[in-house]
Amino acid sequence: MSAIEVRNISKAFRGHRAVDGVSFTVEPGTVTGFLGPNGAGKTTTLRCLLGLVRPDRGEGLFGGRPYASLPAPASEVGAVLEANNLHPGRSGRNHLRTLCDAEGLPLSRADEVLDEVGIAEAGGKRVAGYSMGMRQRLSLAGALLGDPRVLILDEPANGLDPRGIDWLRRFLDYQAHERGVAVLVSSHVLAEVEQTVDNVVIIARGRLVHQGTLSELTGGGESLHEAFLRLTDQENSEQPVGGSR
Amino acid sequence: MTALVRSELRKVFTTRLWWIMLLAALAWVGLSLGLIIVSAGMEGGFAADSAEYAGAVWPMGASGTLFALVVGIVVVTSEYQHRTVNTTFLVSPRRLPVVLAKAVAAALVGLLFGAVVVGLSAVVAGASILAGGGELNLVDNQVPRVLLGSVAAHVAYTVIGVGVGALIRHQVAALVVGILWVFMLEPILVVVPQLQDVGRWLPGGAVSALYDTGVDYGMGAMELLPVWGASMVLAGYAAVAIALAAATTLRRDVA
Repeated sequence: MSAIEVRNISKAFRGHRAVDGVSFTVEPGTVTGFLGPNGAGKTTTLRCLLGLVRPDRGEGLFGGRPYASLPAPASEVGAVLEANNLHPGRSGRNHLRTLCDAEGLPLSRADEVLDEVGIAEAGGKRVAGYSMGMRQRLSLAGALLGDPRVLILDEPANGLDPRGIDWLRRFLDYQAHERGVAVLVSSHVLAEVEQTVDNVVIIARGRLVHQGTLSELTGGGESLHEAFLRLTDQENSEQPVGGSR
Repeated sequence: MTALVRSELRKVFTTRLWWIMLLAALAWVGLSLGLIIVSAGMEGGFAADSAEYAGAVWPMGASGTLFALVVGIVVVTSEYQHRTVNTTFLVSPRRLPVVLAKAVAAALVGLLFGAVVVGLSAVVAGASILAGGGELNLVDNQVPRVLLGSVAAHVAYTVIGVGVGALIRHQVAALVVGILWVFMLEPILVVVPQLQDVGRWLPGGAVSALYDTGVDYGMGAMELLPVWGASMVLAGYAAVAIALAAATTLRRDVA
């Protein structure tokens, strides 16, 4: 059974089809890049998968169960949708502690994950004083609290400097290939993911256009960049708007 | 459920809002009390040893309820304002327990607010009566009923705030509606005799019944609900607020 299974998800907002029958799977021990142009429906797909948005059709499953039916969701799935889902007036450590409370974890986990993402010294500072990169790391720390077997990260490299991106690559590599975590990471910046991902899922205009291994896609001498442009630019129909929120 | 309530309480006490609102409530109540104390014995004021004076100062703690309402509203709207609702619902995808935990946490914060504001207000009121040569006639003046009713009003108002916040979700809009309601609409409906048939059934009218001491401020005695009826009405509003918060939160997309 796949760690993540997206099964035929469709979602329309005010008549506009943001996601249209998208299906794919993610296996344990792999990093899957979820790629597509801005507004292709990546974020909406992830929100449907995680139960924040109710899909019109289809469902998302984790080991065969919908997110809302998982007995302890945060200890099975760690997800970061936006690095700005943080209260600016609360310290990083207190943010994590509110999550420890809700997840029934000891408060000491907060300091452990702060250390794991490399911002232990900023734990006592209010989030208002954090850089975008520190917010990304704090959000990631929140996803790690329950020591999950699945990680879902939406545009995790946004706001990271080159050193941060390098750190993120090594982090994802470690999680998937050393610890056996199933990692799904969305991105619209191909250079970020090319060195990290094992598999790619590409969507455009709300529809799946490709799922397979990275080596399959680039095996014929085509770069990921060229393949991406070819796959996502087949039709000249109007680019959907408003699908990324 | 206990875990979620603990999380919600930690959310409240790890930002600055709660103590800013508590200080604001104390300042507001202190100002109102100060005006009566200063005007005691002056023309138009009550003599400090009179029953009217006692009837005016004991209920003053109840005017902290506006700030309790604000805290209740912000408990919900700050989640949308700062988009932390995403994380909240990722950790607890079953949303009804989250809504109930927010209501319980808000009620506990309201209890704390009520105890501190009404308690300090009562200390000042009692001291001013004694200083003016009056007597602390606790039972005949129904002081325990007034004070306990005022604390209960704080609890009810924070819970009602949760409902208002969940319904409106936009922080500034919700606060403006809440403040206009408490400062403009309700006072008119409760004070103007022709409108009191409506006003006494509103949250503000019910709270007035809980702290009423029969003092005539020149508008004629108010016709209010009996204390038990007012308690039921207030509890009813709190229950409606929780139901409203649940109904507006459970199925809506968080995008």
